[in-house]
Amino acid sequence: MPVGSYAFRTGVSAFFEMATEDAVAALPRHLQPIEVRHQRSVLSVTAFLFDESEVGPYTELMLSVVVPPMVGSWLHHAKAGFYPFLAATSSEEARRRREERFHFPYLDEDIDAQFIETGDRLTVRAWVGGDPLLDLSVTQYSWESTTHVLQGFMMNGEERLRTTLQISGEYTMHENERGSINLYPHPLIKDVFRNEMPSSPFREHWFKNGREVFHSLEAF
Amino acid sequence: MSRSKKESSTISMGEAMATPSRKSITDAPDRIEESGGVQPGAMQYDYTNFYFGAGEDAFALLGPFDDWWQEVKPAGYYMYELPLQTAPGTRVDVEDTKTGGIREGLINFASYNYLGLSYRPEVKEAIKEAADVYGGGASGSPILSGTTELHRRFAEEVAAFKNKEAALIFPTGYSANVGTIAGLMRSGDLIVADQYAHASVVDGMILSKATSKFFRHNRADDLERKLKGFDGKKLVIIEGVYSMDGDVPPLGEIVEVCRKYGARLMIDEAHSAFVYGENGRGVVEDQGFEDEVDIHLGTFSKSLGGQGGYVAGSSALVNYLRGFSRSRFFSCALSPVVVAGLRKALELAVAEPELRAKLWDNVAYMQKLLADAQIPIGDSTSQVIPIMVRDDARIFAIGEEIFREGIFINPVKYPAVGKHKSRFRMSISASHTREDLEQGAAIFQRVLQRYGICP
Repeated sequence: MPVGSYAFRTGVSAFFEMATEDAVAALPRHLQPIEVRHQRSVLSVTAFLFDESEVGPYTELMLSVVVPPMVGSWLHHAKAGFYPFLAATSSEEARRRREERFHFPYLDEDIDAQFIETGDRLTVRAWVGGDPLLDLSVTQYSWESTTHVLQGFMMNGEERLRTTLQISGEYTMHENERGSINLYPHPLIKDVFRNEMPSSPFREHWFKNGREVFHSLEAF
Repeated sequence: MSRSKKESSTISMGEAMATPSRKSITDAPDRIEESGGVQPGAMQYDYTNFYFGAGEDAFALLGPFDDWWQEVKPAGYYMYELPLQTAPGTRVDVEDTKTGGIREGLINFASYNYLGLSYRPEVKEAIKEAADVYGGGASGSPILSGTTELHRRFAEEVAAFKNKEAALIFPTGYSANVGTIAGLMRSGDLIVADQYAHASVVDGMILSKATSKFFRHNRADDLERKLKGFDGKKLVIIEGVYSMDGDVPPLGEIVEVCRKYGARLMIDEAHSAFVYGENGRGVVEDQGFEDEVDIHLGTFSKSLGGQGGYVAGSSALVNYLRGFSRSRFFSCALSPVVVAGLRKALELAVAEPELRAKLWDNVAYMQKLLADAQIPIGDSTSQVIPIMVRDDARIFAIGEEIFREGIFINPVKYPAVGKHKSRFRMSISASHTREDLEQGAAIFQRVLQRYGICP
């Protein structure tokens, strides 16, 4: 049953290889990272500009480790699972509601963000308390309409939870390594990446004019 | 820099975005039910979506995968494992499993038979003679009863051909990589491989339990970054010709970095041995670094048209691997029948350098035909020519048309290559005639034009 629906104007998701050692450190013990290469896991950095929600427009930033989804029937088969280990929004009200509903680990401080389109490139710049957090760029390939079925994992204290989410909209994706990321030495993230992080994503996703739908949480 | 949260916005600068227009022609629209049930567009999924799955039942992914497979097989995946009815020559008869018919006389750009040796009468005769003497199989591990006189002689002949002290024969190229890497490297060591290295290299790295790193394709500067600061045993692994892109490594730069950091260098010449270099000894001969590379690996299934793999190098290396390459001594030895065919194929490859000359002449001719038609082939400089489609959603539709117009070739898409790096991998053979190449290029041009991939 859908429990949250958020329309967005634009959104990006970039996948980076990260050391499995770092990924494991960011995960609760019952989750394991997937590996795209031996000893290399996947960091997902997403930024969405929601323009329609129960609290009005706001921006959300999430850093997640990609994990195996729980297996269901083909009708419910999720492409991937995500465990967000850092989330942040530009709206306290949005943060409060999403935290209550989904138990994502939100930073207790507003972020500022800009989404800048230049030609075939979208750049997201984010700040916390006036200090730069990250600059993320993705580029376009061909556009199509799509729906992604994914699973989100979260913890509420010791309780293990998961939700199914669908992201629908216009979509472009590729692995041409044209994007980039610059993580500033901000206290929030500097300890997460003890090993080398690449400066460009191996996969770039860019969504437009779509909707993110969350389904009810399940304990497992 | 401080910004107000009110400033979160989208700012359009420069030209407007391209209008989203093209939709996948093979994907049905997704249907999302209020209950949370989802009917996905099956072609938007791929093998990777069924690799990882959490839960308690080891068979849990089988059902969803099978349901997916039933949907996507007729939509394009049936184009893999199409049964050949003939030898892998330049013209082949292939069963069309979608229609049940046999498609006859297709131009074969799928098989690895680079020198056309697998079906040479001399090779077939050698195979028949060996079958009369030895029967069908080796019936034992090579370190127990599976080594025949043919195996022993063939290993010596391979070593002599490669100008190395010794060589070791493996049942497949896959097992040669796995057995060599895992046989030599241990936990705590460092292995750095090119990011496009074959799966057998990656599996060998995993089995070795060494720390594994990958450097950006053909980038010696990135290799240096990966080696820098590591104290301990180091092995660098590259390929002679990269199997999906058909390009070759910058050996001089890589050798220099390996020397600087005291790393041993291994090259997998699966696609380049017997065809590159004046004497066919591979990319190492072609680029002049035969003695600078420590471990020379290759297969017999490509240019020699048979089966099996080898590692060549110093006697000390081969003696050590003989005792520690588990993939070799826990497998049955190559069939003596296959070895007899390989010995004859190697003899022909050495005796007939004109085969290599013909191959390179064909490669140059095909590359010119494709360039004239403005068909994109990436950075290939070899007999492996990727026809770059870069359209994951339409690669099967294009493949079907190419198949039905008279070409046998396999589509390659994610996860074998990156997203939107889909392609057809063309293998050129010395046996192709000019007519084969001209007809093939014309078919590609005709079909790719219809999809706007070439003008």
